[in-house]
Amino acid sequence: MTASKPLLDVRGLSIRVAGAARPLVDDVSFSLDAGETLCIVGESGCGKSLTALALMGLLEGTPLRIDGGTAEFQETDLLSAPQATLRALRGDRIAMIFQEPMTSLNPALKIGDQIAEAVCEHRDVSREAGRARALEMLKRVRIPAAESRLDEYPYQLSGGMRQRVMIAMALANDPALLIADEPTTALDVTIQAQILDLMRNLGRETGAAQIMITHDLGVVAEMADKVAVMYAGRIVEAGTVTQIFDDPQHPYTLGLMSSMPSLAGRSERLVTIPGTVPSPLDMPVGCRFAPRCPFADAACEAPPQLVDLEAGHRVACWHAPIEQAEPTPAWRETA
Amino acid sequence: MNAPILQARGLMRHFITNKPLFGAPSIVQAVNGVDFEIIEGETFAIVGESGCGKSTLARLLSHLIEASEGSVIYDGREISGLTGAELRDLRREMQFIFQDPFSSLNPRMTVGALIGEPLRIHKIGTPAERRAKVAELLRKVGLRPEHADRYPHEFSGGQRQRIGIARALATGPRIVIGDEPVSALDVSIQAQVVNILEDLKDEFGLTLIIIAHDLAVIRHVADRVAVMYLGEIVELGEAAEVFAAPAHPYTEALLSAIPIPATGARKVQTKIEGDPPNPISPPSGCRFHTRCTYVQDICRTERPQLRDMDQGRRVACHFADNMSLEGIRTDNQARPPAVARRFARYSAARASMTANTESAKLEKEE
Ligand SMILES: Nc1ncnc2c1ncn2[C@@H]1O[C@H](COP(=O)(O)OP(=O)(O)OP(=O)(O)O)[C@@H](O)[C@H]1O
Ligand SMILES: Nc1ncnc2c1ncn2[C@@H]1O[C@H](COP(=O)(O)OP(=O)(O)OP(=O)(O)O)[C@@H](O)[C@H]1O
Ligand code: SF4
Ligand SMILES: [Mg+2]
Ligand SMILES: [Mg+2]
Repeated sequence: MTASKPLLDVRGLSIRVAGAARPLVDDVSFSLDAGETLCIVGESGCGKSLTALALMGLLEGTPLRIDGGTAEFQETDLLSAPQATLRALRGDRIAMIFQEPMTSLNPALKIGDQIAEAVCEHRDVSREAGRARALEMLKRVRIPAAESRLDEYPYQLSGGMRQRVMIAMALANDPALLIADEPTTALDVTIQAQILDLMRNLGRETGAAQIMITHDLGVVAEMADKVAVMYAGRIVEAGTVTQIFDDPQHPYTLGLMSSMPSLAGRSERLVTIPGTVPSPLDMPVGCRFAPRCPFADAACEAPPQLVDLEAGHRVACWHAPIEQAEPTPAWRETA
Repeated sequence: MNAPILQARGLMRHFITNKPLFGAPSIVQAVNGVDFEIIEGETFAIVGESGCGKSTLARLLSHLIEASEGSVIYDGREISGLTGAELRDLRREMQFIFQDPFSSLNPRMTVGALIGEPLRIHKIGTPAERRAKVAELLRKVGLRPEHADRYPHEFSGGQRQRIGIARALATGPRIVIGDEPVSALDVSIQAQVVNILEDLKDEFGLTLIIIAHDLAVIRHVADRVAVMYLGEIVELGEAAEVFAAPAHPYTEALLSAIPIPATGARKVQTKIEGDPPNPISPPSGCRFHTRCTYVQDICRTERPQLRDMDQGRRVACHFADNMSLEGIRTDNQARPPAVARRFARYSAARASMTANTESAKLEKEE
């Protein structure tokens, strides 16, 4: 691990609906160094977006409350800082890209003006300088004929182009941290590949750290230095991209990888994870994966901690490494 | 080789899109001259980018919409000429599964009524027989007979898609067409539904036509695959062959764009640049020429025909004979032995969780 302080250090982040019995996001911790890309991966509803929104201070106006934890970013705790501080950071030091660019682009404003506005909001520069920066950024995200695009409206662009504009706007103020929530999920695979190329290259050029949220393990393998696998509001496994793909430990990670059809060949039946994700109202008290886990036993009725299996590789499972675990004999009886 | 159960001949369909403020209305040639046949009992997949005409083609094949030109031949008969009893037979024998398990089921009908509806429409069986059939279908898709009295909103996405499958199977169809049947589902649920589809196909000897944009799913289920680009089929062949050694530059580009979930597979640079062209004014000649890395002058002017190659492969590219394109490499995806053993252990443990347990848990979680 690096000796210097990480760029972002999240510890024990919990989020819950005001008054709810159990948190939706529970005790999430991770850290990120400058220039690193962390992928948060997990299935729908596991808390990926809430985690990102909490870091951006965007839970305001929802019934959701931060229930504990700290997120230290350049001397500021993002979880307790006043809104004014967060507003100054957002779009400047920290930028965000969402899945559907149409929801974050203003449909009534030319794209050049939108990017210029984002610059002028945080920098003491003239409109002309803002516009020049907009042009520079559009070129940087490789939008063809950038000059003429400056005066177009979002609806005139394809989905892939809009996502490029979003990236241009997000990077216009040279943020230290870019949070991208499923930036390519709505796009075709050919366009996705282009956007991923772009994000990887820009990450390298600008040195911005990235948190990339996705449910696609393929995207993780393409992009991540580090990976956090979430299940039902908790991180169940975290490590370097190599640790996660070449040495997956948690039964959920194994199940997820087994569920994916392989491009390499027509295997027999897919090995599935039985059942469905628990509802937030009916979350198991112990390991949240236990009802679907083939290794669960009485020990799993207590919540497992995320512990270091080896340097940087953390797993929350009572039975990791599962080489030593027995499949649950109790399955038949509990049925 | 079985006889073709379904044939498309010079199939075309255009749409008139919204009239602009001024000028003539624009026309989209959504399916532009498509020919192929589907063999009884096979799984035939259609892939391609958004807007390339996959859904339109599926709707044409199942007679949900009329062709502008060309014909669809089912079991030797042209479907546009069918009337009365023959048309009812077609409706019974060809069923559709939709993408969205949330909007495709009427929320005010019970699951039992939804699955039994096609039986009622086709006047199959007595009410008691229909109830028994519904119970049997529910079991077949991994749900329980008691679920018949519940409403769709009480089920998860994967379970709703199973209800949609049960409904499609009710009339004992010969062909089932799935338009993105698993695309809206999470990986773990998608795998459950893919397994069910494969089991049912084997059990009933169905012919399955599957549209999906997830190429890994297609690789897993399909016997043959047709790759579409802007309303045309550019390549068609055995799925294993097409994935291993594509013969059309677009197929190569599509395969190269798939992010592969393994370390060591990270791509240096994508092989395809640019956006798909506007379908209202498709490029001249080969429609792929604006994005093709191998483009030559002839491609800009002459439309390549879908030509027969070896092993039943068909390709629409002027240079298909003398190009060697890159498919999916599989040699870099092997797991280290220790990890392979761990997966085997998961798989064995998973298998020992009985089917009973599984539905009991499903029950509990609703
Ligand atoms: N405003 C809200 N009020 C109450 N619950 C919410 C709210 N927003 C999200 N949730 C719940 O919090 C949980 C986590 O949601 P989140 O959006 O973070 O999931 P996600 O991992 O981003 O999923 P997806 O992949 O579908 O985007 C879900 O169970 C969701 O229903
Ligand atoms: N009813 C309609 N009216 C006008 N245009 C249509 C209609 N249906 C389809 N189109 C157009 O025809 C083309 C093909 O559409 P289609 O829905 O068949 O594509 P697809 O391959 O299924 O795409 P997706 O992957 O997004 O579902 C598109 O350009 C689409 O906009
Ligand atoms: S703690 Fe228990 S239930 Fe949870 S993943 Fe590990 S073995 Fe399975
Ligand atoms: Mg989300
Ligand atoms: Mg479609």
